[in-house]
Amino acid sequence: MNESPIVAAHDLVRVFGEGDAAVRAVDGVTIDFPEGAFTAIMGPSGSGKSTLMHMLAGLDRPTSGTVTIDGTDLSTLDDADLTELRRDRVGFVFQFFNLLPVLTADENILLPLSLAGRDPDNKLHDRLVEAVGLEDRLTHRPSELSGGQQQRVAVARALMSQPSVVFADEPTGNLDSKASEGILDLLRRAVDEFGQTVVMVTHEAYAAAIADRVLVLVDGRVVNDETPESTEHVHDLMNQAAA
Amino acid sequence: MTSLALRNLGARKLRSFLTALAILLGVMMVAGTYVLTDTIEQSFDKIFAESNEGVDAVVTSKQAVETDDNTEPPIDAGVLDRVREVDGVSIAEGNIGDPQVAIIDKEGERIGGGGAPTFAISASTSDAARERFDPLTYVEGGPPEAKDQVTIDKAAAEKGDFSLGDQVTLAGKTEARQYTLVGIATLGDVENFGGASLALLTLPEAQRITGKQGQFDQITVAAEEGVDQETLAKNIGAALPPTAEVETGEEDTESSQEDIGEFINILKTALLVFAGVSLFVAAFLIFNTFSITVAQRTREFAMLRTLGANRRQIITSVVVEAFAIGLGASVLGLLAGIGFAPVIGLLFDAIEIGLPKEGTVVETRTIVVALVLGTGLAVLAALIPAVRATRVSPVTGLREGAVLETSAGRRRRGVFGIALTALGGVVMALALFGALTPGEAWVGVGAATVFIGVALLSPRLVRPMASVVGRPLEATRGVAGRLARENTTRNPGRTATTAAALMIGLALVSFVTVFAAGLKGSIDDAIDEGITADLLLSNTDNFSDIPALAAEEVKDVPGVESSSPYRYTQAQVEGADGTSYLSLIDPATVSDIFDFDWREGSAETASDLGPTDAFVDEGWADDNDIGVGDSFAVTTPSGKELEYAVTGTFKDNTDFFGDYVASGQDAAAYGEADNVTNVFITLADDADGDAVRGEIEDVVDTAFPTAKVQNREELKDAIGSQLNQLLGVVYALLGLAVIVSLFGIVNTLALSIYERTRELGLLRAVGMSRRQVRRIIRYEAVITALIGAVLGLILGILFAILVSRPLADEGFVLKFPVATLLVLLVLAAIAGVLAAIGPARRASRLDVLKALAYE
Ligand SMILES: Nc1ncnc2c1ncn2[C@@H]1O[C@H](COP(=O)(O)OP(=O)(O)OP(=O)(O)O)[C@@H](O)[C@H]1O
Ligand SMILES: [Mg+2]
Repeated sequence: MNESPIVAAHDLVRVFGEGDAAVRAVDGVTIDFPEGAFTAIMGPSGSGKSTLMHMLAGLDRPTSGTVTIDGTDLSTLDDADLTELRRDRVGFVFQFFNLLPVLTADENILLPLSLAGRDPDNKLHDRLVEAVGLEDRLTHRPSELSGGQQQRVAVARALMSQPSVVFADEPTGNLDSKASEGILDLLRRAVDEFGQTVVMVTHEAYAAAIADRVLVLVDGRVVNDETPESTEHVHDLMNQAAA
Repeated sequence: MTSLALRNLGARKLRSFLTALAILLGVMMVAGTYVLTDTIEQSFDKIFAESNEGVDAVVTSKQAVETDDNTEPPIDAGVLDRVREVDGVSIAEGNIGDPQVAIIDKEGERIGGGGAPTFAISASTSDAARERFDPLTYVEGGPPEAKDQVTIDKAAAEKGDFSLGDQVTLAGKTEARQYTLVGIATLGDVENFGGASLALLTLPEAQRITGKQGQFDQITVAAEEGVDQETLAKNIGAALPPTAEVETGEEDTESSQEDIGEFINILKTALLVFAGVSLFVAAFLIFNTFSITVAQRTREFAMLRTLGANRRQIITSVVVEAFAIGLGASVLGLLAGIGFAPVIGLLFDAIEIGLPKEGTVVETRTIVVALVLGTGLAVLAALIPAVRATRVSPVTGLREGAVLETSAGRRRRGVFGIALTALGGVVMALALFGALTPGEAWVGVGAATVFIGVALLSPRLVRPMASVVGRPLEATRGVAGRLARENTTRNPGRTATTAAALMIGLALVSFVTVFAAGLKGSIDDAIDEGITADLLLSNTDNFSDIPALAAEEVKDVPGVESSSPYRYTQAQVEGADGTSYLSLIDPATVSDIFDFDWREGSAETASDLGPTDAFVDEGWADDNDIGVGDSFAVTTPSGKELEYAVTGTFKDNTDFFGDYVASGQDAAAYGEADNVTNVFITLADDADGDAVRGEIEDVVDTAFPTAKVQNREELKDAIGSQLNQLLGVVYALLGLAVIVSLFGIVNTLALSIYERTRELGLLRAVGMSRRQVRRIIRYEAVITALIGAVLGLILGILFAILVSRPLADEGFVLKFPVATLLVLLVLAAIAGVLAAIGPARRASRLDVLKALAYE
């Protein structure tokens, strides 16, 4: 964990609105995400987790501060370059509505590659499909899949393009605990087996507990940055933050 | 609920705007048609009223036969003396007013190009008559006083760049002559007769140039002080021979106005049909828009219902919204129509139908029809989706992704579609074969029914057709093509209705294209097979007569083997329906110029044709149960009674010769002694074709400037270009319907983009470029447009086949202009691309984060 970071943020600030109504959703965050690490971001609702993640992923531009992915300063990129960066170097898993309803599960998995016009790595594809356990569901449409299955497809899609980093915003937020475990297990394996860098926003202590590192955000600032030892430990961190 | 409806309207501005635009265009066309035709009618009325001022009675000869041009034959000059004797007559004047002359400009071209007529008018013969009757205001100079003088109207003088003292050439039924310009006049304050021109000559000269020596077109009468028009007319009527009749001045003005009114009505009906097509298409668009938006609001409605709103209230809210859009659009459409009327008028100018249009006439009827039609259509089109939406139970409606249409409903719709399509086809067929009258109207009703039927059916066709059209895109454009295809099929009903709107326009365009190609081909065939002459003379306007003298003069040109006069005219055959068309030929030379398609008879039948013989069109003979050996009685337009013995039958391809062919020896009986329709010319075998033609042209250009020389190819080209002009106008009128349907594509795209906001956000988040987003939308539009175009093309071709069936007897052979039809497909695809520009831009500019957060 002492190599150069894949994603680095320096003094990030994001202000919504103006004057009296202005909200500093992210208020001076400086952090590094080293390669091959699984980071969980926690914090009370409205603390700026999603906003921070959006800026890290090139979906939103900071009011001030810089984000670097793989050595590229995002502020130097125009919209087309940013789009390309998201397509090739960033994987996404959202809380819901991850998949295109008109495409089959497999087409969804391959979507970023199709958009890039790249041929998929067949070996990786087979391994991923096996890992997410969707071998016999590949030709189904999202509407024919359960919520957990849909999220697994989304994870497979995020990993398929072998991105520099995968961002997941409450990927288990809509799932029951069993399905959640499946998703968390997948993400963990991606880090362990593929050396994937993963950043996950979550509200669940047990989810954060499987990460290598937990960041706690309060009012747009990082108030804690620790290695989680157990679910209880994460609970404690949260309670501290709430206090 | 009403305020909710109106709030909705404001909230969805784009949708409301596009829907309104569709109605606006349709209403604009309707209102424009009324304004234009009312304006033309009023201008004509004014012209007639002006020219009949001071006239208390008009004597004309009785019209023996109802001909297309509706003119009475001339009246004998002797009648004037009788009229002058009548009690109560103060002034009686014999006049010439003949539309078959031409003013030739300094370059040798006729003024007005032959589109609008030039009238030869006789000047008053006394000061008293001039004072009383002359409607002209002399801007410069005065009326002609000698036979080599002429006065022309101001517009003609300006067009021909003539000033007083100039030599002006006039062509009539005799050789062209030069006259000195002694006056320039206007008709009261009417400046524009719609391109028509006037040439005022002394009475004897007017009679000579129109071939009416010793005759008048009419006698105008002024009453003595204290004698009213009715008494005057009654007195005159008693003194007239049976061939003549009298009308009061007022009656005459009215009947002229009625005659022109009939013609304008035809124009109006034709234009209203096109307006109706646009409105019909607009109705599809409105229906589709409301279907989509109501579907999108199903949850909102369900929620309102759980809160206690009843069905009626919900329906009312949708209808109020439609009413507001419809009314607003109709008002704007009415205003736009008033502005648009002159533009429609330009179409007629383009095909050289000159019509006077002064001022702008907006009748109450125009306003009422425009508003009721536009508003009514909007409300009707919104009603079905509204009723359907409220049929969903509130609980179902509240569930995410509630579907409005059940599969049973879809099946019912399909069956209904098939039934309607079949019904429409049957109605068209019945109408075409004369079982339903009026035929044209029923063909239209049938076609509209077919359109609705196919539209109902088309959701089932969308998936397979989208596959066919979409696969190539998918293969070459990858995921964007794939998504576009999937998007068009995810809601087949919506795509189908959108495509159906375009289908209607394209069906009509391709129908007209195929039909016109068939017509052109058939005429070409008939010319190639039926005409053996080397050259022909015809009027430069392609339809009027030329002086019969031309045939004589051309005969003397060295190298001309024969010069055969040909006349095409009308007469009333006893026992036959309507007025018959007929041809008068010269038996001595006819075998050189025509090759008839004989059924009974041979070339000798034509060359031996006696003055009382006729050979007849096979179809007409069958209809009227006439055969070789029979005889039939005819009344000519000049009131002569003739009897013909049938000596043969022939197949008249493309109806070139009319119902029967008789000898031109009797041309005088038809009032056609001085003019012919064409002169057909054959050249001697050893003649130098170009040189002889040159000499013929010299003769024609100096003596008969209204005539031109053509060979067969040129004749075909001339007919082709006339047909193309007409086709151009029809395309332009149908273009409006196509434009309306493109708004439909824009609208549907915009609405489905709105529905897919989250999807687009997701796509952008995972790396779809803006360009790729635009591409998807563009392909969706192209696929939809192509579905509509293919359906339209198929329907158009089927219509053409159907409509041409009854014409097969007349040698009508269908031709399929494949290249043109392919061009139509390409144009439809391009139109799709254009329709996609706005929506695509909107979609690509979506804020990714907002789109993702969108509910
Ligand atoms: N587009 C926006 N416009 C204005 N304010 C915003 C916008 N997006 C977020 N905010 C504000 O910024 C703050 C942080 O929001 P953010 O969504 O990042 O919180 P979060 O930590 O992800 O919360 P949750 O756990 O509920 O998802 C909140 O106060 C929110 O109201
Ligand atoms: Mg959040």
